[in-house]
This record gives sequence, C-alpha cells and structure tokens, in this order.
Amino acid sequence: MSLTGARLAGPLRRLRIGLRPRMNVPQALPSIPVPGARVAPPHIASSLLRLALALAVGYSALATGLMYWQVVEAQRLTSDPLNPLVISAARQAPRGSIYDRSGVVLARNLSSGGAERLREYPYVVAAPVVGYRSSVFGTAGLERTYDAQLTGLVSLRPGDELLRKFRDQPYNPSDLYLSLDIELQEAAAAALGDQHGAAVAIEPGTGRVLALVSSPTFNPNRIVARQGGRRYMNTLRERDDSPLLNRATQGLYVPGSVFKIVTAIAGLGSGAISPQTTYENQPHEYQTGFLVEGFRVRDFPRRVQRDHPLDFYEATEVSSNIWFAHAGLDVGAENLVSWAQRLGFGDRIPFELPTSPSQVTNGDGPLAGFRDRVELANAAYGQAEALVTPLQMALVAGTIANDGLLMHPKLVDELRASDGSVSRLAPQAWLQVLPAGQAGVIGDAMQLAVEGRYGREFAGAAKVPGVPTAGKSGTAELGGDAAPHSWFIGYAPADAPQIAIAVIVEGGGAGAQRAVPMGGQLMSRYLDSIR
Amino acid sequence: MLALHRVGIRPRMRWRELVLLLVVAIALTTGWASLQSFRSSQLEVGDAWLLATYLGALATIHLGFVITGRRMDQILFPAAALLGGLSVLIMHRLPQDLAVQSIAGRVLELGPLQLLWVLLGFGVMAATAILVRSDGWLRRYKYTWAALGIVLLLLVFLFGEVTGGARLTLTIGPISGQPSELLKVILVVFLAGYLAENRWLLATSSTSVGPFKLPPLPYLLPMLAMWGLALAIVIVQRDLGAALLYFLVFLSLLYVATRRASYVVLGLLLFVGGGAVLYQLFPHVQDRINVWINPFVDPQGSGYQIIRALYAYGRGGILGTGLGAGLPQVGAVPSIPAIHTDFIFAALAEEMGMLGALAILGLYVVIAERGFRIAATAADDFRALLATGLTLVVVVQAAIICGGNLRVVPLTGITLPLISYGGSSLLVNGAVIGLLLALSDRAVEPPPPGARAGVARRLGQRVRRAGGKFEEAIS
Amino acid sequence: MDVFTLGLWALRIAFVVLIYVFFVFVARALWQDLRAGVAGAGRPLARLHVIGAPEGRPSPGTSIPLDAVNSLGRDVNNSIVVDDSFVSAEHALLTFRGRAWYVEDRGSTNGTWLNGQRVEGLLPLGYGDEIQVGQVRMRLERARQE
Repeated sequence: MSLTGARLAGPLRRLRIGLRPRMNVPQALPSIPVPGARVAPPHIASSLLRLALALAVGYSALATGLMYWQVVEAQRLTSDPLNPLVISAARQAPRGSIYDRSGVVLARNLSSGGAERLREYPYVVAAPVVGYRSSVFGTAGLERTYDAQLTGLVSLRPGDELLRKFRDQPYNPSDLYLSLDIELQEAAAAALGDQHGAAVAIEPGTGRVLALVSSPTFNPNRIVARQGGRRYMNTLRERDDSPLLNRATQGLYVPGSVFKIVTAIAGLGSGAISPQTTYENQPHEYQTGFLVEGFRVRDFPRRVQRDHPLDFYEATEVSSNIWFAHAGLDVGAENLVSWAQRLGFGDRIPFELPTSPSQVTNGDGPLAGFRDRVELANAAYGQAEALVTPLQMALVAGTIANDGLLMHPKLVDELRASDGSVSRLAPQAWLQVLPAGQAGVIGDAMQLAVEGRYGREFAGAAKVPGVPTAGKSGTAELGGDAAPHSWFIGYAPADAPQIAIAVIVEGGGAGAQRAVPMGGQLMSRYLDSIR
Repeated sequence: MLALHRVGIRPRMRWRELVLLLVVAIALTTGWASLQSFRSSQLEVGDAWLLATYLGALATIHLGFVITGRRMDQILFPAAALLGGLSVLIMHRLPQDLAVQSIAGRVLELGPLQLLWVLLGFGVMAATAILVRSDGWLRRYKYTWAALGIVLLLLVFLFGEVTGGARLTLTIGPISGQPSELLKVILVVFLAGYLAENRWLLATSSTSVGPFKLPPLPYLLPMLAMWGLALAIVIVQRDLGAALLYFLVFLSLLYVATRRASYVVLGLLLFVGGGAVLYQLFPHVQDRINVWINPFVDPQGSGYQIIRALYAYGRGGILGTGLGAGLPQVGAVPSIPAIHTDFIFAALAEEMGMLGALAILGLYVVIAERGFRIAATAADDFRALLATGLTLVVVVQAAIICGGNLRVVPLTGITLPLISYGGSSLLVNGAVIGLLLALSDRAVEPPPPGARAGVARRLGQRVRRAGGKFEEAIS
Repeated sequence: MDVFTLGLWALRIAFVVLIYVFFVFVARALWQDLRAGVAGAGRPLARLHVIGAPEGRPSPGTSIPLDAVNSLGRDVNNSIVVDDSFVSAEHALLTFRGRAWYVEDRGSTNGTWLNGQRVEGLLPLGYGDEIQVGQVRMRLERARQE
C-alpha cells in the first residue's frame, strides 16, 4: 500500500507548481556534522549567542546613557539658561524681582505688554551685582546665578520637582532679597566717580555683602532695551576700560602693603613670628636697604623714628617693608602659601558671582612656587607676583574683624516664591583661620595703623569720627612711571565690628591719597545709617 | 478547502500575533488619546483617522498572514507594528511643516506623509513575507547582487546630491530616495551567500600574518574589495553612519560564519587605526568627534544640535512630559534641529520619558531576539547568515543612531529604523522585516500520510489545526 | 489637581505601561517556547518503524527514535546499526533539515531504496515512506504524541 502511495506521490510531486512551496535542496552539507566525517566549523548557533551577548552589552550602554541624561544630569540641564524650556518659561510666568536689604527694588519687570517682558534696573550702580537679563545677550550677574529661581523653574520646596508636571501653573518664580545696602552702594560709586577701581564692604560677623562696586560700569537698561542694545553692547565690549568686567570680584591687582596683613596672619599663625619679634639689623637696613640675595628691600623715607628695631605693632603702624620682608623669610614659602590658602587664596572664592582666584605667587618656581627668596621677601610686603581681588582683601579684613573666623561671602539673604514659600540662606562659617587671640593682636596693630601716632599719617583719614577704627593702607607699586594703586582695607568699630571694607583706586597714587579717605567715608556713612 | 490546499493557501490562526496586535492597538490608541486630549484640553480621542487607517492596515496584514497560512514568526510583525505606530503618533505630534510633499495632486504634511510611507513600507513587508517562497534568487546570484550594489554606489557618487548635511539622495525623474539604505541589504545578501559557500575554508584554513590568522587570501580578497569599495565611497560622501554600520555588520557576519575571534580582533584594530587616520585627514570627521567629546565648546555652532537633545532628556525625566507637552519651541523652530529624522529618539525620550525610551530600545531587542532565533533554527547556513545579517542591519543601525542621540557614540546621519521620517528607510526596513518573516516560515511539512489516512481523519486533523492554540502554532 | 489633569496623566502613564504589557506577553511566549523546547528535547524528532528484517537485526516491529542526523550501516559506529548481510558498513544517511527529512546513499554496494526507487543523491521523504537498506525495510513515522 505504501508503495502505491509512493508511486502516486512521485508524479504528483512533479505537478506541484505555482504557489505550492518549492523544496530547496541544499547542495552541500556544510553545517550538519556527519559522524566520522571531517570536522565541520562550529554550528552557527553558538556564535550567534556570543554576538547576541555583544549586542546586549551595546544596548545596556544605551540604557545607561539614557538613565544618565534623564535622571542624573536632568536638573542641571533644565536650569541651563540656553535651554529652550527656560526661555519659554520666562515668557509664561513673570520673572521675580530683586530687592536690596531695605526692600528697594533693584530689578523688576516693566509692566508693558507684549510677548517679551522687559527688565528695568532703577539703580545703575548696582549693575555689577544685579547684572542683566536680555533675550539677546542672555544673563549676567545675579540674574544669571539665580536665573532658575527667578524664572520659577526650580522650586524652593524639595519634592516639588516631581510634582511640578502635574500642576496647572508649573512655574513658581521667586523674588531675591539681598543683603546689599543700596545707599552705601551709591555712596561708594559716587566716591569712586570716574576713577577706575572697586570697593567691597561686608558684614564681618555674617559675611553678608553690603556693597560691591566696580568702576567703570555699564547701564543694564541700555543692554536690555529693544532699540540700540546691540550697538551699546558692542561699544562696551570694545572699550579699553572693560566696563563689563567686575573689578571687585575678578579684577586682579598688585596689593602693596595691604598684603602685610596676610603675612602677619601667616607669621603669627605658623608661629614664625610673635608680636614682640624684632630684627636687630633693621635700623641699619633702613639706611642701606635689606639685602636679600643681591636685591635691596627698601623702606621709603618717612618722618618716623627708626632708631630702634621695630616690633610687630610698630612695623604695621609704619608699614615697614624691611620688617615684613624679614618676617616673610622667617615664615617661609610654604607657610605663606598655605596660610594664604586658608584665607581663600589660590582658588576661586565660592560666591554668587563669578570670581577670580587671588595668588601669592605665580606658582611655577622651585621654592614652593616662588622663584627664589627675593621673590618671597618682596611678596611678603605685597609686591612681586602677588595679585589679589578686592573681594579677597575684604575677606581678609573681615577675618581679623571677626576674631579670626572667616565667613562665606553672600549676597542673597532670602528667596520668596510667588506661592508664598520662603527660603532663607543662612550665613555660613568658612574657616577659623587663626585663633581669636592672634586675630586680636593683628587687629590692635591695624588700629594703630589708623589711629596711632605714626600710623595716622598714612591711614588717619580712614578714622570714623568717634569710633575706634582699624585698617591698613597700601600703595602698590607697578614699576616704571605708572602711578601706583591706592589701597585700603579696614573695619569699624574696632571693638565690635559692623563693617569691613576693601577699596582700591587704580593708579590712585599713595594709599593715603584716594583709597583711605574713601574707606573712612564709607564706613562712617554706613555706621551712621545703622545707628 | 482541498482545492485551496492544492494552490497553497491554507488558513491558519495566528493567535499569538493577534493578541500582541491587540495590545499594540490599545497602546497606540491610549497614546493617541493622550496627545489629542492635551491638545484640546478635554479627554477625548478626537479625529483619529490617521490612527484608524494605521490600525486597519495592521488588521489587513494580519488577516493576509492568516489566510495565506504562513507559519512565520508571530512576534516580529507586532513589534514592528508598535514601532511603526509610535512613528505615526510622533509624526502627527511634531510641527507638520517639517516635511511637505505634493503627491498625486494633494499636498501632504508630515503626519499623513509618514503614514503613507509607513503603510507602503508595511505593504512591502507583507508582500515580501507572503510571496517570497524560495531563496534561490538571493543565494545563487551573489556576485550579481554585488555588482548591482557597486553600480548603485557609483550612480550615487556621480549623480547623487547632498541634502540636509550628509544625506545622499538619488533622483530619477519624480522619484528620489536614499540608495544607501538599499545598499546595506544588498551587502548583507552578498556576504551571506559568499560566507555560506566559503565557510569551511574561511574557518579552517588560513594564512598567518604574525600572531594573527587571516582567512586565505583568495577568498578574503573579493570580500574585502567589495566592502572596502563601499566604505571608501561612503566615507568620501560623508555618510559615516552607513560606513560604521557596514563595518560592524561585516565583522559580525564574519565572526558568526567562522567563529574566529582573531578576525574580530584584527577587524577592530583596523577600525581604530582607520579611524585615527580618518581623523587626521578629514575635517568633517574631526568635527564629529570633537563635538562628541565636548559639545559645549561651540554651543551655538557645531554643538548646538546635541546640546538641544541633552536638554530634551532633562526635560523629560523619568515619566516624560507627555505626548504633545514637551519640546518647547523658541519662535517657530522646533527645539532640536532635524528632530523628525536624526533626533526622533530624543523627541520620544522627552515626551515619553526614560521609561518610554527604554521601552523603544526594548522593542529593538525583541526584534534582535526573534531575528537571531530565526537564524539559529534556520535550515542551512545561507539562511542563518542572511537572517543574522538582516537582523543586524536593523538592530545595529538603531543602536548607532540612539547612541549618537545619547552622546554615547559620535552622532551620525542615519535613520532610526521604522521610526524616523523617510520613505527609503521605511521601504527598505519593511523589506528586511518581510524577508526575516519569510525566512522564519516553516510551512514546508513532510507530505501527509498516503492513502492509508481516511478522509475523516484528515478532516479531523484540519479541524484541530483550525482551532489550534499557542502550542500548535509555535512548535 | 482637576479631573482633566488627572485623566490626562492617567492616559500618559497607561500608554507607557501598555508598551511594557507588550513585553510581558512577548516574555510569556518566550517562556512557553523554552518550556516546550526543554520538554521536547528528550522527544525524538520522528521514528523509524522496522517493517521487515529477515535476519532479525534490528527486530521487526521495533520503533527506532530518530535524531536530526542518523547514519545507517553494519558498522557499530553508526547511530542505527543494521546488521544484515546485504548492508554495507556505511550504508545510508537519514537527516532532518529544518523542514523535511532527506535520505542519501553513502556509496553502499547494494544501494538504498526509497519506496522501491533507488536513491540517487539526496531525496526527500515523508511520513509513511519506506526505505530499504539491504534486506531491511523501515518506514518513517511521526514521533508519538504524548
């Protein structure tokens, strides 16, 4: 029966055409191993498994990348001002305003209609702090730092982020309340006038910034204006005097004698010097100059008693380069650098505005960064390669004023969101740079520098009438014919400081000429206002 | 039924496929509803003719498979259908003026245009799956295919135009397309045929160069020549994505055919070396790699695109913004350039969130699994290699473009298979899936038992099959 | 949160969830395949039913389980040992190639016969077909359903 069936199947098979599947008969037998035959290459299935594994690794990498961008980096990217979300959010909810400590408005939206809301800046002097927000040029200053909060993209309440999607009004802009005192700011700007320079005033106990002025500055209203903004910006960018540069936080200057405070901190803190330290050769060196490896350190002729070796207080009062050169050599290169670092030197100071790092030396020399002892000696009294920002020097003054405790500088006190939630940014201690006792010694020396018999010749104009005042003047030599920078750092009242200040007038001549009286004026004004 | 059986039509239920397609339909409808509801601020499905047409096409294809009784894989089509559906959805969501073409007198914008291409692509897929019954035409004429490929390549080289960066288009009369898509399939067919035929020799004998074992020269040379030619022209035409794809597919197929790890190592060394040389010589290669390493160096220029995509991921988060609610536009410009082609994955990741994007990656993994399974259970080497190559061409391409979107690898200008806007890509990928389905067909049964079996018994067998469950369909 | 927002987010989340439901179904199918594969691993692909063997080895009536590749012959190294005087040491090869069964002769003295026809090259055969090596006749049958 089966044979019959087979015979029928044969012809039938030949009849199968059309859509009937044709059976493909492979000619060779490559993959199926024949028992006893030569060894065939391994079956494809096993190689496929390995390939599948490789593919799995690849796709896992993709999944990891996805998780990285959508979870890990999500917050940072969402706050980036170039993110279209930020741009479109800005159009939906009114941007928050910025106020000074008394509630005076420093930045607000113009009430005119239209798709684009313009920003208004009633106080041009606050420009270095507040910055601007322009749809063309982006953001700068605090408008940039707190852009996410001002737009309302970032919520103050934790956990709000996740729920934001589900709310009707997803954007919750905040207003900024600064520690800035606009009156002090205006006074500082007026005092600087057309001169190039900067001034930074802080509250030593809290680190809150009271004034931060840079001159020359710019007019943010003209930048954000609908007409002429571009042209104005180009002008600003092309000017030699860099009005867009915030000299207070990013201007680097030769410090001159105000740096001696840093040397003092390093000296007392490391124990290399004591308040009673004297250098016996010093009166002689006053005549001949202090010879350091071929270089002569000189004190400038002054109507001061120089017939006995000075101790720390006297050296500070008369601002003796020779004494501090000795002290610097005693302190040593490493100590000077490391103690300066404790004050914030060497790195960008963490702050709500961009800062430049101050330096004691360029750092490429063999003597802990110094080229040689000559450079070390010169740096100790504020020349050589030392470069500082006014903000940094204000912090130095603030540290002494605050019994050796350095506070983080901050501009923003509070954020108030439109839904009523409030976020207070508390003052933060940074570092106890040196013990209160030693800070007190330096503070006394600084008080002598302003009020002492010899000191008041240099920094007497800084004294606030009726208030014990401490400070240090500085005349930063630039070499050649250039007029030196005029510096002053100080604080008042010396017994219970309320304000610490740093002032620099570029090319202002001797410290006593410009910076010192300005410092005194500002401190006096501020103390009057808070009484 | 007997007569139909003679003509080869033998309806067979495809339960698994039906269930999966139902899930796909419900998912797509839900997605559509979420988009429409967002747009009209009330919960509704709205005017869903696009979706209805698409689902109708899916149903028709499924019916076609059922009626012609092909015993093909039942998971591939639903996976592809889900990807295609996502494409239709997202193209409907995006600004419609990104692509406008007038076809047969009517002006079509992005949404309907992509639907048209998706339908055509799936049509090609269905036709290929149903009608391709033998592989002789692929297997026997490998050198003809190779020659065709080279001709196509030269045509592009001579007459092709660069549109939108590195996109190469060949225009013949009213039709324009991207031949590089077709070329990759031709390459796979050639390689599969060649490797299958020469597998023994390539795997067992070799010439040694130092510590490395190279395949015997006479056999390796024609392969390398074909591949090298393709690569050279592709690189000169700046289609780096295609070059990378060809290279990886070539290396993978070589490994699968010979299982010689030394070939892979050699190949990778060649890749790194070649890449270094290319980097030195060609500025456009340098640009791509530099932007990949740090796009923020030139955020308004070369880094603009990828930075925009990175923003998109952040905006999406884990759950996404919801269809329609993301991709903030500044002015009338979508937030990412080339969002409907190169960066469609980023757009989907933003609106569907990390979970949605992982799901899309998962769909390609499913396609890979099915494709490799078809390869592993193939009747012979040629089919196994062909199935492997076809799978790789879809899955590796998806990996390359998603990698570029995610900054895991440098960005290249290739499409995301079955999702990106582009007719050529959809048609070719449709054919690829169709071929895979055809390869998975196990309709050839041993002839039924002879006259011994009674009519009743045969009828009974057929009834059982017609009412069959999963087990019947998958054995 | 109002009804609309609630509903909208429900739709959005359901959308993504449904795609994962798709995966669940796929996974289930894979799992079932795996189980069926494992269960069927021990099962033979088909059986060779011995119809007639005059010399008695293998015994008539026995059903030999078949693998994908089966060699037939008198030598003991074959997977199916057919101890018949007219059977060569390496007589025939019976293979299953993904879709169908094939038989080929391995250069035997007396040849291999399929349904009375001499086997030249590779010939396909189906269930119910009869092959003959030497004096032994066997029929290809389905593996028994359990």
